[in-house]
Amino acid sequence: MKRSLLQWLIIAVGAVVMLGVPFALGNKPYWLHVAIVAYFYAILASSWALLAGYAGQFSFGHMAFMAVAAYTSGILGRDLGMTPVQSIIIGTLTSAVVGFVIGVLCLRLRSTYLALFTLAFSEILRLALNSELDLTGGPNGLTLELLVDTTSRVPYYYIMLGLLIVSLAFMYWLANSSFGLFFHAIREDEEAAAAMGVNIVRYKIMAFVVTSLIAGLAGAVEAHYIGFITPNILIIAQMSIVVAMAIIGGVESLLGAAIGAIFVQFMLELLREIPMPASIMPTLAQMEGTLEAFGLSVGEHGILTNAWRLVVFGFVLILTLRFYQNGLLYPIIDRLSRRPVLAETVAKRIQATEVES
Amino acid sequence: MDGTFQLALRLIADGLVMGFIYALMAIGLTLIFSVLGLVNFAHGEFYMIGGYVAWFLVTKFINMPPLLAVPLAGLATFIIGAVFDYLLLQPMHKGEIERPQEYAILITFGWAFILQYLTLAIVGPWPQKTPRYFDLPTLDLGTLKLTGAMMKAGFIPISATRLTAALISVILLVILVYFMNYTWTGKALRAVSEDKQAAATVGINPRRMSTLAFGLGTMLAGMAGAALVPAFAWVPQVGVPATTKTFVIMVLGGMGSMPGAMIGGLIIGVVEALGAGLIPDAIRAYAYRDAYGLIIFALVLLLRPTGLFGRKS
Repeated sequence: MKRSLLQWLIIAVGAVVMLGVPFALGNKPYWLHVAIVAYFYAILASSWALLAGYAGQFSFGHMAFMAVAAYTSGILGRDLGMTPVQSIIIGTLTSAVVGFVIGVLCLRLRSTYLALFTLAFSEILRLALNSELDLTGGPNGLTLELLVDTTSRVPYYYIMLGLLIVSLAFMYWLANSSFGLFFHAIREDEEAAAAMGVNIVRYKIMAFVVTSLIAGLAGAVEAHYIGFITPNILIIAQMSIVVAMAIIGGVESLLGAAIGAIFVQFMLELLREIPMPASIMPTLAQMEGTLEAFGLSVGEHGILTNAWRLVVFGFVLILTLRFYQNGLLYPIIDRLSRRPVLAETVAKRIQATEVES
Repeated sequence: MDGTFQLALRLIADGLVMGFIYALMAIGLTLIFSVLGLVNFAHGEFYMIGGYVAWFLVTKFINMPPLLAVPLAGLATFIIGAVFDYLLLQPMHKGEIERPQEYAILITFGWAFILQYLTLAIVGPWPQKTPRYFDLPTLDLGTLKLTGAMMKAGFIPISATRLTAALISVILLVILVYFMNYTWTGKALRAVSEDKQAAATVGINPRRMSTLAFGLGTMLAGMAGAALVPAFAWVPQVGVPATTKTFVIMVLGGMGSMPGAMIGGLIIGVVEALGAGLIPDAIRAYAYRDAYGLIIFALVLLLRPTGLFGRKS
């Protein structure tokens, strides 16, 4: 594909920004942490988009695959003394195996049934993680060895960024190969696809295996970065956030979903505290009781929005679903990527009219 | 009688009591499914909201008598449900949405997310307790003993809160059966669920019926929550296991079958109680209580997707 100067410029700026973030944020480890978590969610959201938006398998069990890898890796490290790299590899493979099993079980299930079944699977797993105290540590969580033995967040930033780029590149290759075409065919019309000779069984299972592999890898690495996991990563609200990220970004575009995730994650952090001028802080402190009645509270430099920021994102999700089914960000990306094509078309049209006249 | 048998009977009684509440919720979901053809992923959240409305009316606001608070909770959830249908589900029927099936899953899932966090923002994460609605009279008839908080029939104890909840749901179920079978509106709802086009040709407005069905379905969930709120410490997350449980029941009974939902509710209630009671390890037993239903769910979906009373589609 021919790219315009503008596109190359955007790609170059994007690359410089992403690579340069640690230098700009070196003294703000908190925002570096937000960026790492944002990339983690970007991997989850884009792999979910591959499963849902491309293959049409609206699974709510994505976080479960992620958790399988993270817990497997943590338990192997604790009980067998494996190094993080070894246990991450085995954990990721385990999540792919679980993805295979779920894919096989889901073969006969369509849309709503599939969503229910995967939701149920995720809940069963959460209950099991919560109650098998000896194995998982239960609600108290599981401590994991850090992947890189350092207090700096910079290495983790590059690891997660690398993971994001590699998994996006892999999924792009997959989506643009014949696999992507078959995934699409299954989503549009399963019977018709089968009639045309698409091996439904193979591609449905494959969609599950690939996406759970990627989600698992991201989960295991993230767990070894945080150094601690609890079954709470599996609550439905977490899955809702990943879904919201993918939908807001654009569920039919891998890049859209990834950018949506980064955007939502940063917005959620920015909305955590609405800054207020220092002069009115004492007044706010006096009004704390009133604010708390509305679910707000007073922080150091402003008003803490607590659960309201998630309510806002819920509404953004609903409005996106209702009015912008291609997502809020994808149309922008799409427009930019079609610019040269547009110019070409216009040029051809002008040429055609010139010939006619 | 030996201990295990007594314990089993006690658990079955406990399960049946909960089963009536489950049945009420599942019938609400079934009503929505049979008329609108979609599954409401926010069903448990309406149950949660109903409970909170009743809690608010009874404890915070003029200490309203529970007999009024339960219907008002139903009214509140009816309105939320009907408005949701009107604003966000109606566009589906008008063909404004490209992929209605996927849209229905995601929009109700997103709505569940909003309701959960809205409640969290308004009432906070702390568990809320609602006092017992009614005290039982003190009575001693030998095998049947009543004290304020407890009924004891032989060796089977049932708490007054759960007994009240079960009674409320039985009353509501009877009203619902009457409504669906002997009123024009109820018959119209059933007609729409059988055949939309045919119903429209005889003068039933299917769109209005689908708003009504969604409102009624969420109302039943809300009233189930309002009936049961004194039995539990209420938190904004109570809806999540309720949603999955209700699905399990609907799938077990057969999607769209009301008698199926009724029987499925009782079965799940009993299975859950037995499963939880027969595991010796208390922590595990409590934690896996919600899992039994889910295992049944997986088995039904894999072995008999039409459920017990399902129509073949």
